[in-house]
Amino acid sequence: MNKDQLLKKRYGAEKRFKFYGLVSITLAILFVIFLVNVIFSKGRTAFQRTTIAVEVNFNTEELELSSNASIEEIQDADFYDLSINSLLKLYKTEGAKQEKELLRIFSPDHDIEIKNFLIKNLDNLNKNVIVNLTTSDDIDQLHKGNYPRHLPEERRRISDFQLLIYDQLVKENKVNKVFNTFFFTNGDSRNPEVAGIGGSLFGSFFTIIITLILSFPIAIFASIYLEEFAPKNRITDFIEININNLAAVPSIVFGLLGLGILLGTFDLPRSTPLVAGITLSLMTLPRIIIPCRASLKAVPPSIREGALAVGASKVQSVMHHVVPLSIPGTLSGTIIGLAQALGETAPLILIGMVAFVVDIPATPIDPSASLPVQVYLWSEQAERGFVEKTSATIMVLLSFLIVMNFIAVYLRQKFEKKWS
Amino acid sequence: MVMINNKVKIKTTNLNVYYGDKQALNDVNLEIHSKEVTALIGPSGCGKSTYIRCINRMNDVIDICRVTGSIEIDGNEINKKEIDVVSLREKIGMVFQKPNPFPKSIYDNVSYGPNIHGLAENKVKMDEIVETSLKKAALWNEVKDRLNEPGTSLSGGQQQRLCIARAISVNPEVILMDEPCSALDPIATAKIEELMDELKKSYTIVIVTHSMSQAVRVSQRTGFFHLGKLIEVDTTEKIFKNPNNKMTQDYITGRFG
Repeated sequence: MNKDQLLKKRYGAEKRFKFYGLVSITLAILFVIFLVNVIFSKGRTAFQRTTIAVEVNFNTEELELSSNASIEEIQDADFYDLSINSLLKLYKTEGAKQEKELLRIFSPDHDIEIKNFLIKNLDNLNKNVIVNLTTSDDIDQLHKGNYPRHLPEERRRISDFQLLIYDQLVKENKVNKVFNTFFFTNGDSRNPEVAGIGGSLFGSFFTIIITLILSFPIAIFASIYLEEFAPKNRITDFIEININNLAAVPSIVFGLLGLGILLGTFDLPRSTPLVAGITLSLMTLPRIIIPCRASLKAVPPSIREGALAVGASKVQSVMHHVVPLSIPGTLSGTIIGLAQALGETAPLILIGMVAFVVDIPATPIDPSASLPVQVYLWSEQAERGFVEKTSATIMVLLSFLIVMNFIAVYLRQKFEKKWS
Repeated sequence: MVMINNKVKIKTTNLNVYYGDKQALNDVNLEIHSKEVTALIGPSGCGKSTYIRCINRMNDVIDICRVTGSIEIDGNEINKKEIDVVSLREKIGMVFQKPNPFPKSIYDNVSYGPNIHGLAENKVKMDEIVETSLKKAALWNEVKDRLNEPGTSLSGGQQQRLCIARAISVNPEVILMDEPCSALDPIATAKIEELMDELKKSYTIVIVTHSMSQAVRVSQRTGFFHLGKLIEVDTTEKIFKNPNNKMTQDYITGRFG
């Protein structure tokens, strides 16, 4: 081969290499767009809730209340009959079957919804008020355009009569879409229209806080000791290898550990953020120690020598100079470790966080769900309402992860100092 | 005529240094005289830096390093376990090859040493120490209006003078300089050399250098190292005009190294 051919070959190789890189990047971006698009198009509608305007007469006699009833008295009152009567006024029905079908347009807890409305607006006692009540999941999906209403009646759960009522109500402008606050404030429920991620938000929050409290200080001190003070010998080499191995252990193994030791031996309360936090800290520890050590290692030795040379002790040189300089890397490593813990599902399933928990946990030792497990739970449900809520929960989870990673990158770039 | 001071400040006897199995210094016997500049010259890897790092026990930082023999400062043995390296390093400052100011303000760079040793009772006293140190390092006029700016924002030569200010802020008796000008341009180098002339009035200075001309310019006494051995030590004048050893002669005339 002569010079010209070699040159041509070299240029060709360079062009091909660039092309491969471009193809990979394009593919990666397309996958991300596809993923986001699927999640977004499915989950978008979960942030809205369909309501129907119903006229309610808060008659104190019917409710067996005094005209200046206190909140506690209202809390104890039975709103069921009042609720049923108000709903039945909405459309003329004949017979018990049609009555039942009319009532089924609404979410089963309509009486509680009416009660909560009154508690929030106490001055409506003895007045005729329009209340927007949540519809059942089927009507909700119908209104969002996700329901196959063209199917023959026997193949759908909404009856022709219900469709008739719905169309009439739409004509009367009584069917509205409002922002779905329930999705963020309610706990899990069997009824998708009122199910929310409130419980799992708190569960995840408590879990992450416990993980942070346990793993951050331990990881920091472990990495400072290993990097700055520990002698370099076989034992520390062995520890180092094992830390790297632990970081690669499948998370479900940590779940088994939590199940066996925390729940089995120590008998800690099942399905609680406490156990989840401890389990996840075990998993997160090596994942924080590794970036922490890397950021300590990145501090140039000249800084240590400079401090030692003016007579700083070893601890002083580390604490006054090396550690402050490693903080950006340490923090971003910690945040990324926590973000991984936040998205972790498998170990939580093993320690029983898959339980169906309706209540929102008030403390870390109350049974609770967590965001990724909530996704897992809802993804198994058939109702269309749960399908959109699954995607919506993924959106919430992803936005937390994106925010956390963004903070990590920001910290690293903002506070990273140039040495000289 | 160069003034030769005869008071010995640092005396090493049979100093051997090993990095693991490798011997870096071999029976070095050297006397460093008080309040003058001693230059250590020799080809790369000959042990000059290793030698000065023994004097303030900086080699302790290196796990595999072992130092045997005697190092006396004012007649006191310092190469033993009981010596507190922190107070030793307070007495023996060091300036490194590459300027290494802390990524903190100029003020904090100089005040760090006095601060950890508790040399200033209050802010006024500390300001005073910072000012005198910077003045002694011939940097005060250039930085007095921007003491709160980071030390790393200075130019290379200024950074090195800041490091010298940092070293003298704790009032040492000896200043060790490990090729302090090798990363600097000729103008910055000239400034540092000028400064050394001034500093030797109050401090004993040991400088490692690769520049023969620098050794001639700044030092009163010169030691020539080769392969871990001290080949020859004498007054700078003698070493560069009429060395006893053939190897020294070859090195300073550029025939090897």
